Parts: sequence; C-alpha cells; structure tokens
Amino acid sequence: MANLLTVLIASLFLATLAIPVIYRLRTNGTGTFLALFPLLIFILLGYLLITLNPFEAGIGDSSIAILEGMELSLRVDGLSLIFGLLISGIGFLILLYSSFYMANQERQKSFYLYLMIFMGAMLALVFSNNLITLFIFWEITSVASFFLIGYNHHREKSRQAAFQALIITAVGGLALLFAVILTGNITGTYRISEIISEGIHLGNHSRYPLILSLVIIAAVTKSAQFPFHFWLPGAMQAPTPISAYLHSATMVNAGIFLLLRLYPLLGGTIMWKYSLLITGSITMFLGAFSSMGQKDLKRILAFTTISALGTMMLLIGIDTVNSIKAALVFFIVHGLYKGGLFMITGIIDKSTGTRDIYQLNNLTKSMPFTALFTFLAVISMAGLPPMLGFIGKELIYEATIQMPQLSWIIVPLGVGANIIMVAISITVFYELFIYQKKKITTKLLIKEKAFPTSFLVGPAILAFMGLLLGIAPEILENAISNSIYFIRGQSIKITLSLWHGFNEVLLLSILTIAGGVILFLLRKPANRFIAHILNLFDIYHLPSIFNNLVNTYLKVTSRNTERIQHGYHRFYLMTFFLVTIAITSLHLFKITDIPFSLQYFSPVKPHVLLLIIIASIAVLFAVFTKTRLSAILAMGLTGYSIGLIYLFYGAVDLAITQFLAETIIMVIFVMVIYYLPTFAVLSTRTSRIRDAIISIITGLFITLVILKAELIKPDYRVSDFFTENSYTLGEGKNIVNTILVDFRALDTLGEMFVITMAAAGVFSLFKFQIKRLKERKKDS
Amino acid sequence: MQNIILQKTAKLILIIMTAASLWLLIRGHNNPGGGFIAGIVAATGLILYAIVFGSQKVEKLLKYNTRNWIGSGLAIILVSIIIPIALGEPPMTAMWTTISLPFSISLHTGTPHIFETGVYISVIGIILSIIITIMEVLKWNS
Repeated sequence: MANLLTVLIASLFLATLAIPVIYRLRTNGTGTFLALFPLLIFILLGYLLITLNPFEAGIGDSSIAILEGMELSLRVDGLSLIFGLLISGIGFLILLYSSFYMANQERQKSFYLYLMIFMGAMLALVFSNNLITLFIFWEITSVASFFLIGYNHHREKSRQAAFQALIITAVGGLALLFAVILTGNITGTYRISEIISEGIHLGNHSRYPLILSLVIIAAVTKSAQFPFHFWLPGAMQAPTPISAYLHSATMVNAGIFLLLRLYPLLGGTIMWKYSLLITGSITMFLGAFSSMGQKDLKRILAFTTISALGTMMLLIGIDTVNSIKAALVFFIVHGLYKGGLFMITGIIDKSTGTRDIYQLNNLTKSMPFTALFTFLAVISMAGLPPMLGFIGKELIYEATIQMPQLSWIIVPLGVGANIIMVAISITVFYELFIYQKKKITTKLLIKEKAFPTSFLVGPAILAFMGLLLGIAPEILENAISNSIYFIRGQSIKITLSLWHGFNEVLLLSILTIAGGVILFLLRKPANRFIAHILNLFDIYHLPSIFNNLVNTYLKVTSRNTERIQHGYHRFYLMTFFLVTIAITSLHLFKITDIPFSLQYFSPVKPHVLLLIIIASIAVLFAVFTKTRLSAILAMGLTGYSIGLIYLFYGAVDLAITQFLAETIIMVIFVMVIYYLPTFAVLSTRTSRIRDAIISIITGLFITLVILKAELIKPDYRVSDFFTENSYTLGEGKNIVNTILVDFRALDTLGEMFVITMAAAGVFSLFKFQIKRLKERKKDS
Repeated sequence: MQNIILQKTAKLILIIMTAASLWLLIRGHNNPGGGFIAGIVAATGLILYAIVFGSQKVEKLLKYNTRNWIGSGLAIILVSIIIPIALGEPPMTAMWTTISLPFSISLHTGTPHIFETGVYISVIGIILSIIITIMEVLKWNS
C-alpha cells in the first residue's frame, strides 16, 4: 500500500507534464481534471487510516535514491496520515475551486504547475522517511510558494510579499539543512524510522543546543511564529485559492509537523519546552490581538491563522500526552474551518468584488448556502458544540490547566486569545450576513445561483466535515493514538468525545464564550483601543524593518561587488595571475626534499627544439607587432606548434583538439577583428612594463610547477589506473576517450554545460542587436 | 562570396568533414577521435560553408535552430544518464551490451556511445550558435 502511495505522489509531479495538453483541450477544466490525483491519494489515505494499527508504522521503501543514504522512502503512521489526509483532501477541493476561480485568467498553466508541485512536495514532505529528502521537499514547498504568492507578479506588493516569504522560509530551510546534516553525523542514519525505533535522543549530546535551535528556527520561520510572523499577512497577496491552501493545512503547518516528527529525537527537554512555550504564547496572543480591528476579511483570517499556529506551537511546548493530542486535533480543526473560510472569502469576493467586511451588507438573502457554510465554519472557529472545534478547544484548555508549571500565565493568555477568536467569529458573521447597513449598497456582480457546484462544494464539505467529526470524533482516535505512540513512545488508547461532563474546562469554555460576546458588544471601543496600541508599536513595524535590512544589505553588497567586479579585464587577469603565483609559490618552496636536477629529464629531441623555437619567435612577434591580425596569426602559430608537440609525444586526441580549437578561434578572431579599429596605443609605458613583468613571472612559475610535478614520483600514479583499467572497465582502447566518457563523464558533462553557457551568453549578448538589425532590414 | 570555385570547394569540404566527423565519432572509443573532436570537425566544415554561403544558408542546412541542436544533444546525454538508473545502477554508470545484427555482425555498444553522440550534437550546436550569432551581428551575409 505504501508503494502505491509512492506512485500516486510521484504522479502528482508527473501530472504537471499533462497540464499544457489538458489546458489546450479544456481551458477551464484543467483544475477539475487535476483534482483527480489528490482525490485518489485521499481515498488511499482514507483506506490506510481505517486499517491503521494503533502501534505500527508502514514503511514503503523504493529502490530509487537521489544519492546513497538519501533514498525516497515513505513512512505511513498516524502523524503523516493526519497531515496527508488534510493536504490531499483540501488540495482536491482547492483544485475544484480553482477551476472556477481562476477561469479566464492569465497564466493558468503556471498556476496549476506550481500548485501541483507544491502539493506533491508537501505530501512527500509529510510522508518522507528520510531527513534529507524531507529537507529537499521542504525547500521545494518554499520555492513553489514563492511563485504562488507572487502569482500576480505585475503588482509590486505581490512581488515584495513573495520575496519576503521566500527569504524568511529559505533562512529556515538553511537552518534545517544544517540540523539534518548534524543529526545524520551524530546518529549515523538519516532514516526517521531507524531514529524512532532505536530510540535515539540527542538530549545529552554536546551539540544538542545547536541542533535544537536550528530546528526551531526552521519551524518558527515556516510556521510564521513571532518575530517572523509578518510574512503571512503579506502573503495574502496570493490568489484566494492559494491562501486557502497554503495557510490552512499545508505550508505554514510544515513547521508544526517538523517539530512533531523530530520530537523523538529532540523533544522533551527544558530548552525545547521553554523556547516553544515563549514563541507559541506570544504568537498566539499577538495574532489574535492584531486580527481585531482589521477590515479585510483575508487579513483577519491571516492573523487568526498566526494565532492558531502559535497555539499549536504552545501545545507542543507544554509537552504532555494531552497537549500533543490537543495539538493534533486542533490542527485538523483549524485546517477544516480555515480552509472553508478562505474559500468563502473568495466566493464573496467573486460575487461582490470586495473583501471589506464593513462594505458588505446582509448577504443572507443573496447567498443562503454560503451563509450556512460560514455559520458552521465560524462556530467551529469559536469552539462551540457540536463542532470539532469545541473538542479542540476543550482539549487545549485541559492541556493548559494540567500544565505542571506556568499554567498561571498560559491559561489566561489562552483564554484571552480564545475570547478574541469568539468575538471575531461573531463579528465576521454579524457584519457579513446579519447587520443591515443602510448607507452601503454593494451590488452583487454574480449571484450565488450562477456559481457552479464545484465552486461551492469546497467550503460545504469542509464545514460538514467539521460537524461530522464533532459528532463522531472516534474516527480520529486510531490515528491520534498511533501518532502519540511514535511521538512520545507511550502506548495509550486515546478517546475523544464531545461531552466531557461538568468540570473546570467546561467552565472556562463558558467563560470564553461570555467574554467573546461581551467583547463583540464592545467591539467599537475595543477596536479603537487595539488600533491605538498597534500604532504605538508601529515604529517596530516588522515588514518595513525587514525591507530596510534587505535594502541595506543589497547596498553594501553592491558596493563590494563594484569593488571586486570592476569590469576591467586586464585587472581581472592580473589578480588571477598574482594570486595563482602567490599560492603556488607557497607550495612550491615547501616541497624541498626533491632534488632539482636536469639529469632526470630525457634529452630534448632536435625537431621538438625547432618547434619550441618557432613557437617562441611567434610569441615574441605577437607581443611586438603593430597590427591585430598579425598578432592573432602569430598566436595561432604558437597554438599549432604546441599541437605538434602533443603529436610527437603520442597524444593524438589532444593534438587534434588543439588544432581544431585553434582553427575555430582564429576564424572567430579574424571575423571580429575585421570590424575593430586598427591598433591604438592606449596603455602607458609603465603599465606595459608592469604587465610584462607579471606575465614573465607567471610563465616562469607555471614552468617550475610542471617541472617539479614531473619530479615527484608517487607510488601509484593516476595515469597508471587509467592504463590498467581503460580496457577492462571502460571497454575502450583509447584511454583519453574512456576517461572522457566513462571514468570522468561527470566532468565532461560539466564542460558541456560550461560551453552551452558560453553559447547562451554570446546569443543573449547579441540577441537584441540582431533583432534590431532584422527590423531595420524589414523597414528598408 | 560569389566565387564558383570557392562554393564548390566549400560544398565538397562540408561533405568530407561530415563524413570524417562521423567516422571519428564511431571509432572514438578505441582509436583517436570521440564525440568532442568529431563535433568540432563537423562544425569546422559547416563554418566554412557559412563563410562562403552566409549564415542563413547554414541555418537552413541544419534544419533546426542551433539552440535546438544544443538542447537535443543535452537531452541525449540525459538519456545516457537515466538508462543506468532505470536498470538499478547509479547514474552515469557505463552499461555495455552486444547486439547481434543480421549478416553475422555483432555490435558492441553501450551508454558511453549515447553519451558521445549527445556531446557530438551539442558541440556542433554550440560552435555554430556562436559563429552564426557573430556573423549576424557583423552582417556577414555576402
């Protein structure tokens, strides 16, 4: 089954190849077609969830490995199933939703391409059983989300938001890479299943603080935690389906996933607890606090997402069975209601043309179904029964109350954040659907009835899933027991139920709702108060601080670049030569135990001597001649002489290459020289003398290095290896050729890329000139 | 250049150079030669042709854009890299096989030959791309 999953996830990537074809056949049905792939995955994962044994994990090893130790292997356990189900399920709905939302928009093909790549990478990330592949897919999600956030790239704001998101998540990715490599070096394996089954924990290792901080940086940046939270509201520049997908169940939850995944390796220490508690609680409260007073529905949702992520972070930091359970349930709750609400935002935006909740007026009559779905999503967000949100909130309260220490501060913070959530839920629903604003008459552009079912089905399914799971939470018990078994190593049968009886948790819930209602009634002064406080902190406006930082950095680097990359070719060469001389002379004089004497060399043959004399005369002529053409011809003569020397010493391949290359270089030179002005004396006498000295020293040094290298006689030469193995291993009698295409084929490949780059460079340098020439020809 | 002798010679040389390049390509693994050298030889013939007849004629002769040649050469190289992966070996491993053809000829061939062919094609594309671009900029269209 796990192997089937590998194939299906790979099919997500391969499906991108079909996008141009489908797009040509049915332009606006592309999304609907692509939705089949995540649907298949969802069905398979659903089957795996039902058949899941509470204390077992399925491993699917494929024979494909990127490199040794980086195999593509899958791990199916409760944690990856919970994440995978939400990613594939919401991905399916988002693709359906996009096919109407993105209809008749430009660049749909790239939209679907990035979305599918993102989805595939996200699924591969959560199912990955190897830390290195996990990192690779983590980076792919960052890059794909950059393109998705910056999809409307003609707007400067989108570009900036995408850039911010990329830079911040890429910093996290880099930290993750370091952490993964360190972990691999210490544990000796990158396989997650081995780390978990062997019970490796790095808590006592001297590198533990470093690894933990790197992992936390990765998680905190990806999951938009304080002080990196600001990229998330910025990312609302993305098209709504993208916001719904990236910020409900996927991208931003990858950090949470990472922490849960690495818990067996790193979790449970004091450092782990406190760092997560601090960031989590600050983010939770700050997100909720900032969401009050926002007008744009999407921004409100963005800030509540930050708050929810903070809550999950906090719950992981509390570090008890109950808190992990609460985090997992809350992840599902949040994915369901947030995905639905974002999609509803898109529906309202499509039909009215605005997302400002104060500009929208009594939408119940015009869009009754949307109102129903919003109602369900909003009561899940507020944590009211009988939704899954209620269970989620009860579990959170239970976990915070039972905290061994610090519950005196965490509980009030949690209650405060939840009160704001309740107030926001009521405000959103009230302003959108109930309140009659007399002054504002927002016209409906498209009626709800005109929308296709595929556009409305997304929020409907998510809302009813929230309800269904609230009434029958038993479905999730197995997966959560399994997750907790592998996260905390405790085999506990988890039970979930809607009704917990009268206890202090229920009391807190009632208090929260009452507080929320009061805050809703006082929302105008409260909004003013919050706006005032946020204004006070405006000097610490993080996005602009970030932008300033980036700009300053760019200024400094461009100044340095100008200093190094000055554009004078002769100075580049001079630097290059001088540095080479300095480095080689250091090594050349270090090796003193080899006597330097001419007796080690065979006598020079007369014809070779003749060639050397010809080449030297040609060089001198090239230096002192007054015209370019003769200089080039003289250089060509030198090249041919060297080619002949190769030939005399039996290097036929080298000689042929030398002759041919020399010929082509001469042809190109002659072509170009024809159009250059005749020799002009531009350099001064002193600079010429300096150049002469440098070139003579360089030549002298190269000669010395080669002579010395000839004197060093190692026991086993590289060339001996090739002579011995070229026929047996390389199956070729031409040693040079077996080196080129077999032993060192990677080098040849690299060279091919280099000369391709050179060709591309020439072409792109002259592309516009050629275009202009052709246009002029047409005109005349 | 409207010179009948030059034009005839250029055509003849092109044929000889192309034949020579194919010969160098085929014998390359056991005798002096190989994809890179063969590619340059073929390109040299084409350059002479370009100098005599102008760059547009060469583009016509090549049928496809030089950049397509580079791309297809690199794609062929990619094939030679992927074949070993599909057979469960690390990428770029040389795989050899002997194919028996009719008339009792047996052909010993392998992925290095594919690699070499890719190098051959892309070298031709690269050199001509540079030459043609320069010729177009210089308006070298006799």
